[in-house]
Amino acid sequence: MPLFNEFSMPVFHIDGEPVEYEPGEKILSAALRCGKIIPHYCYHPGMSVVATCRMCLVDVVDLGNGRPAPKLQTACSMDAAEGMKVETLNPKVEEGRKLVNEFLLVNHPLDCPICDQSGECTLQDYAFEYGSGKSEMDYSKRVNGWRDIGTFVALERNRCIQCSRCDRFTREITGTNEFGMFNRGHELTVDTYSDRPMTNKFQGNMADICPVGAITEKEFRFKRRAWKLKKNRSICTGCSTGCNITIEHDRNEIFRLKPHENQNVNKWWLCDEGRLTYRMMNERKTRIHQPLGRVDGKLEAISWEEAYAAIAERVGDMSPLPEEVLALTDTHASNEELFLLQKLLKDIFSAENIFCPLPKWEQSESEFFINTLITTDKTPNRAGALALKIKGDATSAKLKKAIEAELKVVFVLGNPFEAEVEVLEKIKKAQLVVHLGTFHNSWNDIADVVLPGQYYSEKEGTFTNKDQRVQATEVAVQALRRTRPEWRILADLSSALGQESSYGSSADVFNVMTKQVKAFSGLSYAEICGSGKELTQRTKDSGMKVVKAQT
Amino acid sequence: MTEETLVLFKNIRNPKYDKSLAAYKNSGGFKSLKKVFGMKPEEVVQEVKESGIRGRGGAGFPTGLKWGFMAKGTGKPSYLVANADESEPGTCKDRELMLKDPHMFLEGLMIGCYAIGCHHGYVYVRGEYFASIKSLNVAVDELYADGLLGSDPLGSGFNLDITIHTGAGAYICGEESALLDSLEGKRGHPRVKPPFPAVSGFNGCPTSVNNVETLACMPFILGDNGAEAFKSFGPQNNSGTHLVSLSGHVNRPGVYELRMDVNMKDIIYEFGGGISNGKKLKGVIPGGSSSPVMTADEVDVLYNFDDLAKKGTMMGSAALIVFDEDTDVVKLLHRITRFYAHESCGQCTPCREGTHWSRQIVRDFLNGNGSDEKLERLNRVGGNMMGTTLCALGDAAAMPIQSFVKKFPEEFRKYYATV
Ligand SMILES: Cc1cc2nc3c(=O)[nH]c(=O)nc-3n(C[C@H](O)[C@H](O)[C@H](O)COP(=O)(O)O)c2cc1C
Ligand code: SF4
Ligand code: SF4
Ligand code: SF4
Ligand code: FES
Repeated sequence: MPLFNEFSMPVFHIDGEPVEYEPGEKILSAALRCGKIIPHYCYHPGMSVVATCRMCLVDVVDLGNGRPAPKLQTACSMDAAEGMKVETLNPKVEEGRKLVNEFLLVNHPLDCPICDQSGECTLQDYAFEYGSGKSEMDYSKRVNGWRDIGTFVALERNRCIQCSRCDRFTREITGTNEFGMFNRGHELTVDTYSDRPMTNKFQGNMADICPVGAITEKEFRFKRRAWKLKKNRSICTGCSTGCNITIEHDRNEIFRLKPHENQNVNKWWLCDEGRLTYRMMNERKTRIHQPLGRVDGKLEAISWEEAYAAIAERVGDMSPLPEEVLALTDTHASNEELFLLQKLLKDIFSAENIFCPLPKWEQSESEFFINTLITTDKTPNRAGALALKIKGDATSAKLKKAIEAELKVVFVLGNPFEAEVEVLEKIKKAQLVVHLGTFHNSWNDIADVVLPGQYYSEKEGTFTNKDQRVQATEVAVQALRRTRPEWRILADLSSALGQESSYGSSADVFNVMTKQVKAFSGLSYAEICGSGKELTQRTKDSGMKVVKAQT
Repeated sequence: MTEETLVLFKNIRNPKYDKSLAAYKNSGGFKSLKKVFGMKPEEVVQEVKESGIRGRGGAGFPTGLKWGFMAKGTGKPSYLVANADESEPGTCKDRELMLKDPHMFLEGLMIGCYAIGCHHGYVYVRGEYFASIKSLNVAVDELYADGLLGSDPLGSGFNLDITIHTGAGAYICGEESALLDSLEGKRGHPRVKPPFPAVSGFNGCPTSVNNVETLACMPFILGDNGAEAFKSFGPQNNSGTHLVSLSGHVNRPGVYELRMDVNMKDIIYEFGGGISNGKKLKGVIPGGSSSPVMTADEVDVLYNFDDLAKKGTMMGSAALIVFDEDTDVVKLLHRITRFYAHESCGQCTPCREGTHWSRQIVRDFLNGNGSDEKLERLNRVGGNMMGTTLCALGDAAAMPIQSFVKKFPEEFRKYYATV
């Protein structure tokens, strides 16, 4: 509970402590905002208030006019008021919570040992806190059964506590209306309409908001107990929206991605496609495991030192002219990596030919915010490349011209232009092709040296999303032993080629970048690690077209 | 006192009355509406306030006050919706009005519309009331044909339409906010309040929901000296005549129009002609199935809102259910708990689970599995629904349970006591 010296907003009291509220704000919302937990199930800050679970009962001992409320009130639906005094811990409130939780458990299977929600279930938590430990229910429990409701989530209706969050989700958040409440009274249950499976692309969120184990992710079911999972903040790189996520992992294996609330980016949500990218993070077969060098036409394992030495030697022999050096990159590279690649070219070769595919894309407007999350743009750090003035597309005249030159040294970062046969053919002829990448791809076939990089779940980095917000990833899992983060490889290469560099971390690179690149000036790494920060100097994306909502 | 006081039933008690528009006009119908059209809407609301009429739908909220709460200057249309979903067990008075004298009710509805500036009134009728629905539709057609509905009735310049809407048979749709959801075409689930309908009701517009009988009183109240006369029909704060639905073990069950200062004993023994088959009285449910039960020695009380409230019960919708000495009270409670378990909308926890669980416990007694512990549990489960739910159905389900256990504990014990 922060201490306020001065209140800019009106104030009421919860358990004797002053709490600010915005006019019209509800007790629960104000309480949560300042870190005061009032148990609740049906309330969700992103959806309408229904006040049906009755768990958030509080005692309003003073309505603000000196008089108490006649009975316990639901904090989620009651407006905070100047001078109001709310008690959330007195025996009356405890009694209220106890009775509500008892009612919820009367027909609940309590099959926690085989329930995936176990460990992150609010019903379970409150049953521990407010349950009597013994049931007075002598009769057989309600049985509604399992339903197959969609590709992404499973529905175990016996565990449902009828909070209607899922129902409100498809009505208010996706607008797809494919899910609803059926029957009434104690038979009230949830299901899809007409037995049709759900089609919305955001089903995983329903598993997130379901307070119990009624809706769970099919991908995650039965794989790991929730309490075993370690969590790290990151940014989804599935598209250029850059949704904030937590990567949840155990023993170096990633089990799922969950949204991390960021009101400026993804609010509380994440798309299913993005969630599925966790599979890539665990992928080992197609990963490049160690540095490779071409010996007699075949790629063979070499050490990092051998690789750097070989490159330095070849470059020394050739002493290429600026136009004989080229770099290609994709936008899965972080801001720091793009910056270092650009710097390497400039500092060592005085070269400027660096290209990155930036296909045209469309941003659809929608009356439902969530639809703007998935974009057709699968270039996660597109805005970062633009801010560094790295451009290009397979048909651009500049790129065409650049590859016509007698190329001597080519650096390829990631997997750019892989479908462009002409580009590949031309580059094949270059004397030295160095590929930095995480996965085996067609660039390996023409590379002379392959340097294994790391996936974004394994390293630090910052990405600039479509709204020009710079956000950071952290290390979630340990990378393969003989790989190195690309920013480090690029720094090492620079040293090997004669320009000493001494970056200790990606953050170091970031700090240098903020000094040398105008678009990034004024940003601090610490700031970005919270919920990101928008670039002050915006670069226009000419490849973006806004499409009006279809109604 | 053994005479009815005829205000609402003045036509219905006339054997020659044929409920046509002509007959209603003959009896002095639509005079009040004409008078009202000459008044300012605020003056009409003021008259209604003066009459002291309290809503007949169950809660007894002053109607004038309710109309006064209607949000003004919102730029949105206002609505008046007549609550004709009459489904509180024991209640059958609105049906009489709609079936036998629809025009009196409709005139009242029109007066209400004028008072709150509503140009489109709705009647939400219980789906099973086939005959009433027909009767209302015929009456509304007559009104349109006569020019009393539509544009500019009686040269008032006040355009007015009325739509008869039929429900699909859910008790909960009698609760005003669930009624509005249902009227909008949604599932009939009570809404969070506030906002109250007077601020955001039908389609988010200011709305007043009023019981059929409440509205049917309007032609009288707005008639000559009506408010004064209405007030004189009962003790202070309990104005008017009202319709009492008398049912159960009496010789002459039926709907009676009574002043509010009639003793409940007289209703049973004089109007109802006493307990049928010469049996003795065991108890009464005074105001519809949700009101707390009373024993035979408590029935000497004036039958109105305040006097019954003083006795720890309520008049509700004035449905007096009488039961004799042979009645199995546990079975009676089982029937009531079954009703609430069936009619709970299920959205809020205590009511959804509590109505069903309490029904299971009562059934356990009937199956010979009762115990002191279970009796206590029944009382606790009932009590836990009281005051913890979103709408009043939770309370309605809790009150009978708690009162039956309190007033007739021996009857429960009979089911499990070893002889
Ligand atoms: C569960 C429940 C059922 C109700 N059913 C009815 C009903 O059938 N008819 C009715 O007029 N009022 C019913 N009410 C009361 C209405 O909510 C509302 O108070 C009433 O229609 C207002 O009209 P009045 O002011 O004229 O009484 C019910 C209330 C609850 C909580
Ligand atoms: S939903 Fe929660 S309480 Fe229920 S079985 Fe699962 S973990 Fe246990
Ligand atoms: S399935 Fe989950 S989210 Fe949906 S109503 Fe049940 S408990 Fe709530
Ligand atoms: S009290 Fe019962 S009927 Fe009323 S809203 Fe809650 S569950 Fe529905
Ligand atoms: S959170 Fe308030 S009633 Fe559910």
